[in-house]
Amino acid sequence: MKTFPFIYNEPREFLKSLQPKEWADFLLGEINPRFSTTAIKAKVVAVREETADTKTIVLKPNWLWKGFRSGQHVPVTVEIAGRRVTRFYSLSSHPKDKHLSITVKRQKGGLVSNFINQNIKKGDLLELGEASGEFVLPKMIPSKLLFLAGGSGITPIHSILKQLQSSKYDGKATLLYFVRSYEDVILRSSLEEIAKTTGWLNIRYIFSDVPKEGYDSGFLTKEILKKYTDDLKSYSVYVCGPAPMQTKALSLLEGNEVKSELFLLPGQTSLKVKKSGTVDVFLSLSHKTIQVKGERSLLEELEDQGIYPQSGCRMGICHTCVCKKAVGSVTDLSNGEVSELGEENIQICVSRAESNLELEL
Amino acid sequence: MRTISKKLNNEEVEAFGKEVEALREEMMAKVGKEDAYHIRFIYKTYRYTEILGRGLIHFSFEPISFVAGSLLLATSKILNNMELGHNVLHGQYDWMNDPRFNSRTFEWDIVSDAHQWKFYHNYMHHTFTNVLNKDHDYGYNFTRLTEGQKWKPTHLTQPFTNLFLAMNFQWGVGAHGYRVEYMEIPKKQRKKKTLKDYKAVFFKKIELQLVKDYLFFPLLAGLNFPKIILGNLIANLIRNLWTYAVIFCGHFTENAESFSVDDIVGETKAQWYLRQLKGSSNLDGSNFFYTMTGHLSHQIEHHMFPGMPAKRYREVAPRLKEICAKYGQHYNTGSFVKQFASVWKRIIAYSFPDSIAGKLMGTKKKYLEPKVVLSQPSFQISLPGEEKSASLT
Ligand code: FES
Repeated sequence: MKTFPFIYNEPREFLKSLQPKEWADFLLGEINPRFSTTAIKAKVVAVREETADTKTIVLKPNWLWKGFRSGQHVPVTVEIAGRRVTRFYSLSSHPKDKHLSITVKRQKGGLVSNFINQNIKKGDLLELGEASGEFVLPKMIPSKLLFLAGGSGITPIHSILKQLQSSKYDGKATLLYFVRSYEDVILRSSLEEIAKTTGWLNIRYIFSDVPKEGYDSGFLTKEILKKYTDDLKSYSVYVCGPAPMQTKALSLLEGNEVKSELFLLPGQTSLKVKKSGTVDVFLSLSHKTIQVKGERSLLEELEDQGIYPQSGCRMGICHTCVCKKAVGSVTDLSNGEVSELGEENIQICVSRAESNLELEL
Repeated sequence: MRTISKKLNNEEVEAFGKEVEALREEMMAKVGKEDAYHIRFIYKTYRYTEILGRGLIHFSFEPISFVAGSLLLATSKILNNMELGHNVLHGQYDWMNDPRFNSRTFEWDIVSDAHQWKFYHNYMHHTFTNVLNKDHDYGYNFTRLTEGQKWKPTHLTQPFTNLFLAMNFQWGVGAHGYRVEYMEIPKKQRKKKTLKDYKAVFFKKIELQLVKDYLFFPLLAGLNFPKIILGNLIANLIRNLWTYAVIFCGHFTENAESFSVDDIVGETKAQWYLRQLKGSSNLDGSNFFYTMTGHLSHQIEHHMFPGMPAKRYREVAPRLKEICAKYGQHYNTGSFVKQFASVWKRIIAYSFPDSIAGKLMGTKKKYLEPKVVLSQPSFQISLPGEEKSASLT
């Protein structure tokens, strides 16, 4: 046996075992909670009320923040009752603004959106991930742009409009903003300001619930599209809003160049409990997709198919079977609770599949 | 094994299990902010005591600050192993979704590899608590603690081997661990991973630990290195003695019962709860004491609810005690001194053959009288993996 074979062979791993990062993070965090070497922590520098149920949170991130492009979104992690929960939000600010901001509308039953609206105040700390997303303008900006926004889907579009403004855009852009009522229009003053100062932007609000004189009402239709565009086919289209609106838009805009961004909101998805038939479970480490019935624990159903994840007690006490669920929802058999859709660690011996899943197995 | 608890019939056992389960659910519903705050506080304390401890060891010029440094480092290691490590590795804080407190990623300051430990502790020990030949923590392979284990002349030495174990407890734990993992995998799979593979994991962890405490930090001190080595030795020794004492009090006191493989065939969840109760014993003390034991002072609660954030055991204990009294079940608790003495009584008694051991241990008290006699309809919780426990060898 060589002297110190592991340290000799794997010096990096040895260094890692001394936890330099953990130490650095701990000490930096003690100096200033925003400091870190591993996590993008952002301080809330202002909270602005947009509408009765929407707030803009202005954030000052630490040095790890790498910036973003207009239209992109970012994972936001907040701590609710001791638990870290992550959701994606579009950045509503312009990349060149001094601070970044997200604009969050309360969703019915939405854990994080409600928490942010109710509890986040100046001075709080949020954790961000890296910005990502393809809902951005191309290098060559098209001369005719059509933006279709629905509800809080305005936030990435707002950011894109600000980008156009700062890059001295000289084409033509139309924004059709579908929203419940005039009071629900998010970021109105900023939008109108862009329209006023630039001249290339045409904003149309369309109210679905409370009509207002001088404005259109209703939902997205062929007629409305026709009404506000000359030759529809010549537009590049950006769509962001709830699922039904997106589906509608995509069917009306066949043949156009369309970019769309869809955030799954609780209660809005088809991922809800589906008792009949089977669900797909994608095992990301072994690159396999299998079907399970969702009748018994995931562990048992996987084993039925010849897949043997680590397990131990099989009754929820030893945590041997803990595995990361990246996507989907499960029911915790020990208390009957249905989980969130997002990423979390689950014990597969006491979890039953509720929707299509992605597991790190 | 003789018992001083009342023998319950099936309905009573199930009713008992139902009450315990209700208690668990009630407590788990409360888990949240407070628990997150607590574990972060422990984490902070563990980091600061380590900085201070190591700092004092390094920069001390007289014995007092050196001793203080060693004690602080020992405290840090105890917190890291017990209130933080042991509980985090049980998955008690997985729900926080914080990588610092996640059972999948946590690694601790002890020679036992966290992943291996989860197998032989979380799974083997917690599922088969005090089942002879199945719970490898029972006597750690060389201590005889019940008539159920056959006496051999070597057992005469167990008071001494236990002293040795106490001083080197982390090594004992780590070394028995990789064997357990090897022995417990089905024979067919043994070819894939040999004993050597498991041993390599253990040896790697040993190496990391040794290099850290006895090479890395001493080197930082240059010519002062012997002092650093000594300080680390003292800290590790204190930690070893302490964990040994706490852990042996958990299952090997006088009235803690053991079981045979036959006892657990087809066991229901309620019966499992009952076995955890009978096989474990608690320590009374202050809140500080509880924290320093990693709440293994509440071994009974821990064994019934291993996934519950440990500080909650303080709240659970009085309620559980009531339930036990109601069903005439012995709730084994006492002061640290009393419990530890009874552990040693047992270690010494069973180092002798049964005839002598029996006399030394004396006769047990009669059954406790239950407060109520129950006749409730039975309900069955089926224990997953029943076939598995039936085919144990
Ligand atoms: S196998 Fe023990 S918790 Fe799932």
